[in-house]
Amino acid sequence: MTALTTPSAEAPRRTARAHRNRYLAGLLTGRGLTGLTLVGLLALAGLFAPLLTDLDPDAQSALALAGPSADHPFGTDDLGRDLFSRVLHGIGTDLAITFSAVPVGALLGCSFALLAASSRWADVTVQRAFDLLLAFPGIILALAVTAVLGPGRWPVLIVIALAEIPGFGRQLRAGILVQREREYALAARVGGASRLRVLLRHVVPNAADPLIVQTAVALSIGVFIEGAMSFLGLGVRPPEPTLGSILSQSVAYLSTHPTFAAAPLAATTALVLGFTLIAEALNRGIRR
Amino acid sequence: MTAFTSTSPSGLSRRALLRGSLAGAGLLTLAACRSAADTASSAASGSATPRRGGVLTVGTGIDFTPSLLFAQSANTLVQRLVFNTLTRYDDQLRPQPELATSWQLGADGTSVTLELREDVLFHSGRRFTADDVVFAVKNLQNPARSAQLRSTAAAVTEFRKNGDFELTLVLAHPVSNLFDLFEFMIIPDSASVEDAVAGTRLIGTGPFTFTQRKPGSSITFARNDRYWNPGRPYLDGVEIRIVPQAESLLSSLRTGQTHLSYAIRGKDVATLKGDPQFRVKQYDTGSGAYYIGADLTAEHVSDKRVRQAIAWAVDRDRLVQQALGGYGTVSAAPWPRSSPAYSEANATRYSHNPDKARELLKEAGVGTITLPFAHSNDPGNTAIAQILQYDLRQVGIETVLQPTDSPTMQKQLIAQSMPALWTLSHGFAQLQPATLTVSAYPFNEARNSSHFSSPAYTELVQQAWHRPDSDSPEAKALHQRITDVLLDEEFVIDLAIGGLVEVAGRQARGTDLNKFGYLNLDDAYLTA
Amino acid sequence: MRSFLLKRLPSGLLVLVLASFLVFLILRLIPGDPATSLAGPDAGPEAVAAIRGRLGLDQPLLTQYVGWIGDLLTGNLGPSYAIGGRISDLIGNGIGATAQLTLGALLLVILIALPLGVLGATTRRRPVAAAVRAFTTAVLAVPPFVTGVLLVLLFAVTLRLLPAGGHESLLDQPDLAVQYLLMPALCLALPSAAVLARYLKDGLERALAEDYVRTATALGVSRRRIVWQHALPNALPSTITVLGLQIGHLIAGAVLVERIFAWPGLGQLIEQGVIRRDYPVVQDLLLLIVAVHVAVQLLTDLVYAWLDPRIRWE
Repeated sequence: MTALTTPSAEAPRRTARAHRNRYLAGLLTGRGLTGLTLVGLLALAGLFAPLLTDLDPDAQSALALAGPSADHPFGTDDLGRDLFSRVLHGIGTDLAITFSAVPVGALLGCSFALLAASSRWADVTVQRAFDLLLAFPGIILALAVTAVLGPGRWPVLIVIALAEIPGFGRQLRAGILVQREREYALAARVGGASRLRVLLRHVVPNAADPLIVQTAVALSIGVFIEGAMSFLGLGVRPPEPTLGSILSQSVAYLSTHPTFAAAPLAATTALVLGFTLIAEALNRGIRR
Repeated sequence: MTAFTSTSPSGLSRRALLRGSLAGAGLLTLAACRSAADTASSAASGSATPRRGGVLTVGTGIDFTPSLLFAQSANTLVQRLVFNTLTRYDDQLRPQPELATSWQLGADGTSVTLELREDVLFHSGRRFTADDVVFAVKNLQNPARSAQLRSTAAAVTEFRKNGDFELTLVLAHPVSNLFDLFEFMIIPDSASVEDAVAGTRLIGTGPFTFTQRKPGSSITFARNDRYWNPGRPYLDGVEIRIVPQAESLLSSLRTGQTHLSYAIRGKDVATLKGDPQFRVKQYDTGSGAYYIGADLTAEHVSDKRVRQAIAWAVDRDRLVQQALGGYGTVSAAPWPRSSPAYSEANATRYSHNPDKARELLKEAGVGTITLPFAHSNDPGNTAIAQILQYDLRQVGIETVLQPTDSPTMQKQLIAQSMPALWTLSHGFAQLQPATLTVSAYPFNEARNSSHFSSPAYTELVQQAWHRPDSDSPEAKALHQRITDVLLDEEFVIDLAIGGLVEVAGRQARGTDLNKFGYLNLDDAYLTA
Repeated sequence: MRSFLLKRLPSGLLVLVLASFLVFLILRLIPGDPATSLAGPDAGPEAVAAIRGRLGLDQPLLTQYVGWIGDLLTGNLGPSYAIGGRISDLIGNGIGATAQLTLGALLLVILIALPLGVLGATTRRRPVAAAVRAFTTAVLAVPPFVTGVLLVLLFAVTLRLLPAGGHESLLDQPDLAVQYLLMPALCLALPSAAVLARYLKDGLERALAEDYVRTATALGVSRRRIVWQHALPNALPSTITVLGLQIGHLIAGAVLVERIFAWPGLGQLIEQGVIRRDYPVVQDLLLLIVAVHVAVQLLTDLVYAWLDPRIRWE
């Protein structure tokens, strides 16, 4: 392993503009477009749910557990509510939750990682903070938070944001560590550039790549956490629909009314699939 | 696998062949060893004669709470396995002997003399005597036990022993539900009762001895070889398995992992009904009545008309169909069909009439209001709460759902700290009618979860309770007057009586529940 | 290596201490007074006060904390409030099952991710690469609780190959125990395996794109040798970090999986503890989980440092 060192110490010269173009190029592949289409369609469906259906997602009727029909394209749930409307509104709820919680978590995580790069002391402190957060992973965190706050939308947001901090933070920190020891960074420092300049101009842009993958994973984890919390009865309060709550509701009818599960399952899968495809496309784009 | 090796080797590379035979060997190993999925399901319809041996597995959704051993709680499967009661009811609410072989009521109804079995040993080896009955009654009188039948136990003021096996209980006044107490009161070993409520050691006289408890997972019991009932139990042991998820519970019955369950939801029972692999039995006592409770100290619902409006607002038929899978009966009154107080007119006093509800609200001067509404956070009760929330919204009553875990619900119910509205189910209506009104937390005339009190209600309840009988015309007239108060005041708004359904694999026979839902497996056996 | 361990061990202990503060304080924020609920609804204020005294709830927080840590260090976990029984017995009952589940899942994660990651990065056949990608994407996209129920429907209800839920001791009946373990472990393992496979694949692809690989290929080193002896060791350090993170997810996911498969482990115990406000149980279990984490993270960092000499710890 030591025998094979990188032959060239040339810095990968990447400006912000070049980066953007690479991202764009990545997204314009078949995979990226598929992902964008999936997420875009779902986002539009969630956003314009009130225009797409005039049925109230909470309106109940005597027609329970009906299969798909002209009136109810996805059928109805166990309380006779229209599943088309519920799934559309559920997508909206999920997107609102993950798109507000994940950026908060990512921002906090990355800020901590940058802070960690500033000094040895800060690094140790931030590392311990991450370790501390990681000591309460996913559902354990959800149990602890909801034990104090009770179930609801805010606890779900808080749990997702908290859960994402160490993932982003550690990823960026690890990237910085590796990149900082690379020859181009050492060369830049030897060349008289300040620590901060080297960090921001050279190290961070090169260390940020894995964060793209992390973002996709984080968004899907957000959807997972929402679903898991709904499943354990710790999630967004009924009757507000979320993908997780509709799904967990349908699970009881899998053997008798499989069509109930079909729509929320497809929507959840498509959403995460979309995030994943986008991330893969971006990832390939920047590596090209 | 044989097919694999007999294909021409030329078509397969050496490595592919190796891989194939490894996979084949793996399958063969799996087939050769016992299958955990099939251990209990292979039996065809066996003989109907009781057979000794075997361990019966009972599936339930809710764990046993030791601290509620002497109270009516969500899991009452343990009580009658480890312990005995003095008497037990038949289907007509006539007491039958158990640890008491005979009984004689005093002429004025203020005493009862019990003859006790003389051949009963506790699991610890100690002989059961009249002192143990005295202890059991005093145990229920202890407020720390939170026993719903405490008022009846407290009516016992004096114990007169005549030897070790005859005991006279002297009562402060006649009570119409004495045998409810004898059906309810398990006889514990006095020395280990604190261990029992801590869940570490359960010592009784029952057919099974407690062997191990894994909280949240299982409780196991072994056959009591010195049981007083000759030749019983047939089973070598019992395992109560806690399966919190309804779907897994259903699957575990399907695969024969569990033999018996009383916790299958109505809608799932419907899917099992045509299956010859299962035996489905419905108890006409019901599994309790679903209701909306109102805290009369809260704003708005303190007005009787608002509570009546709620009673008119709910579509009970839809509730029974959608939340109970049709396994239930619409009822505006608490009494199931088996109760002496049941009448069709009472059960149908309130029907689905949103206009009438709106009218009453208008009369009460109530516009659109928002009320907190607590419910148990399991899926079944969450569905019920959502149905009720929707129906109430239609008449202008907005509710904020408060999902709450069952133990907390139970505690709030007892401590009278419920929010303005809540929904739960209550038992005790399947017994002597007086028991409901002096014992069940929602109805207790002296101290109920709604903070309802009225001298008239108390008076009627005391009269009905202080009678030595419950089926004379006078008693029935009293029951009707009590029902009239309940249906007028509506501090408990009854909705439907849930169905109590036993689902058992074909192998499990002879299983039974008493009127409090205690599982009785004295006569149970597994067919070969 | 030893000096590295000496440096990291104190910080691990520091995390443990900080976490114990956090756990202790978080659970003091839970609404509801355990003494009141323990005493029962009819108890007078004296009875509640007596229980507070017995539980030490009337002491200052710091005294309570020190008492708790002291009890932990002496192995005296005391009784649980609501579940019943001694906490050490409760944990003893559950820890074996949870260890079986998470270790089984971890084994499956590695068994699935390693070949999948290597295959995905090295195959030259487009359909194979596409299949690997589709599989990891699909497994990631289906939430574990749906995987769980689908597994039950397929293997327990339809095929009747595996039991729907429950647990046997691996020591008493190994053949049955493995069958009980398969579905929950698989359900728990799949998402982590997909994540790990993806990271491994990305890492390998990055490593294989490096100049030294080209050099080595030009020098006639065999492809297999390049992958296993050069690319994999280079891709491993970051993969190990991810694996360390995934162990956290496994332990957390166990709560959900244990619930679905009626698996009598610590996940069910902590859930019970939270639901019943039995905070001595929750406290002790949270700290136990933290301790496991600290150990895993320490191990992860050690392996990372060992595998990647570019990181130096002066």
